[in-house]
Amino acid sequence: MKKDKAVVLVVEDNTIIRMGAVDLVLTAGYEALEACDADEAIRILEARSDIDLVFTDVQMPGTMDGLKLSHYIRNRWPPVKLIVASGAAILEESSLPSGSRFFPKPYDENAITDAMARLLASEDPAGTAG
Amino acid sequence: MPRLPIVHYEAASTLAVVVSSNEPLLFLSEDQRVIAASASFCRAFEVDPSTVTGRPLGEIGDGEWDMPRLASLLRATASGSARIEAYEIDLVRPSRKTRNLVVNARTLDDGDMDRIRLLLAITDVTDARAETRLKDDLIRDKAILLQEVQHRVANSLQIIASVLMQSARRVQSVEARGHLHNAHHRVMSIAALQRQLSTSSGGRVELRAYFTQLCQSLGASMISDPNRLSIAVKVDDSVVEPDFSVSLGLIVTELVINALKHAFPDDRIGTIAIDYRSSGEDWTLSITDDGIGMPMGTDAPKAGLGTGIVEALVRNLNGDIRLNDAGPGTAVTISHREGSGLPTDVSRAA
Repeated sequence: MKKDKAVVLVVEDNTIIRMGAVDLVLTAGYEALEACDADEAIRILEARSDIDLVFTDVQMPGTMDGLKLSHYIRNRWPPVKLIVASGAAILEESSLPSGSRFFPKPYDENAITDAMARLLASEDPAGTAG
Repeated sequence: MPRLPIVHYEAASTLAVVVSSNEPLLFLSEDQRVIAASASFCRAFEVDPSTVTGRPLGEIGDGEWDMPRLASLLRATASGSARIEAYEIDLVRPSRKTRNLVVNARTLDDGDMDRIRLLLAITDVTDARAETRLKDDLIRDKAILLQEVQHRVANSLQIIASVLMQSARRVQSVEARGHLHNAHHRVMSIAALQRQLSTSSGGRVELRAYFTQLCQSLGASMISDPNRLSIAVKVDDSVVEPDFSVSLGLIVTELVINALKHAFPDDRIGTIAIDYRSSGEDWTLSITDDGIGMPMGTDAPKAGLGTGIVEALVRNLNGDIRLNDAGPGTAVTISHREGSGLPTDVSRAA
């Protein structure tokens, strides 16, 4: 089944940043869902099968941080594309699932929407074609 | 009852040296009996000085020095097959804290080849070790704290950037949107510096890396067609203080925004070149574009906030700003010469 809009799940504990990210996703023409931590994100992923991309923060309260969440998603829902943002300037690329993209905060919005478009355009589950 | 014959006397000077040693020191016979113990030894390890002389090492105090490993090391030293250097051993005493000791043993070389005697120096490193551990802990805590602060700063800048971009997307007025975008660029300029600082050591900023990152960020958000417009960064190996770099970064931000907005109308192709070089205390920063050039006279646009920011920062850096026609385009050169802002009353009699 082909949807007309890609669905992006934003995972971010800070309300203002989450609002901004949701706004960014909507402006880019996608459908936006939001979660304030990894547990809520997993509940949403379990409830819906149409999520194409998860855009997550790293430092979050709860049982998993964004890094663990990204690996969990890659293992359980391999087709879901991943974008990870963090306040840490350098994050070892090797610590992320392959094909996912990393951006230090504050991220440039064009860079994020660009990465989303590339990842969503690629059919490769690991997103390596982007 | 006959007393045991004393076969040998140690030289009084040797005994005096041992007893007065600042470092806890034991003078032992080959069979590991104490010939003399330094006062510092008795004090440090709470052994009654009157009970020491003539007794086997393993029997002094409450027998806590009866350590098979130490005895075997001393035997090896006496036989000449080993020398104990900085050997670590724990002194365990009932109802007292275990002390970490570093021992050094050697044979006494006083010309008497027939009688082997040993010198055992003992350093209590318990407190020094604890101090080192504490220092390591503090350093680790500081690194964690610093990382935490950097995360918070990055997050706070993200909040500001998010709010500005949300506002920019909502306002109807093109002019207001432009101002909000500019404010966003200024925040990102400071964020680029913050990122540079968090990856540098010693809190100094590598200008080349900073300007490169800054221009990448400006280009990513302002240039829609990288084949049409590009920003080239050429910076020497300067490493500068954060305060200085934040001023330079904001100047570059303002001038690059200005060039991108005004120098290349009608899909004109072009390049903006950032150049920074320094020599001693002198430095020159130039931002050159190959666009349409600055309108002069009555066509000149009213100076905006960007111009005000640049002028104020340049003044603050004791710099001099020049605007040139680069034919085509515009070159803005900001330079600082040490002493140029000072009264020129240099002595002629030099």
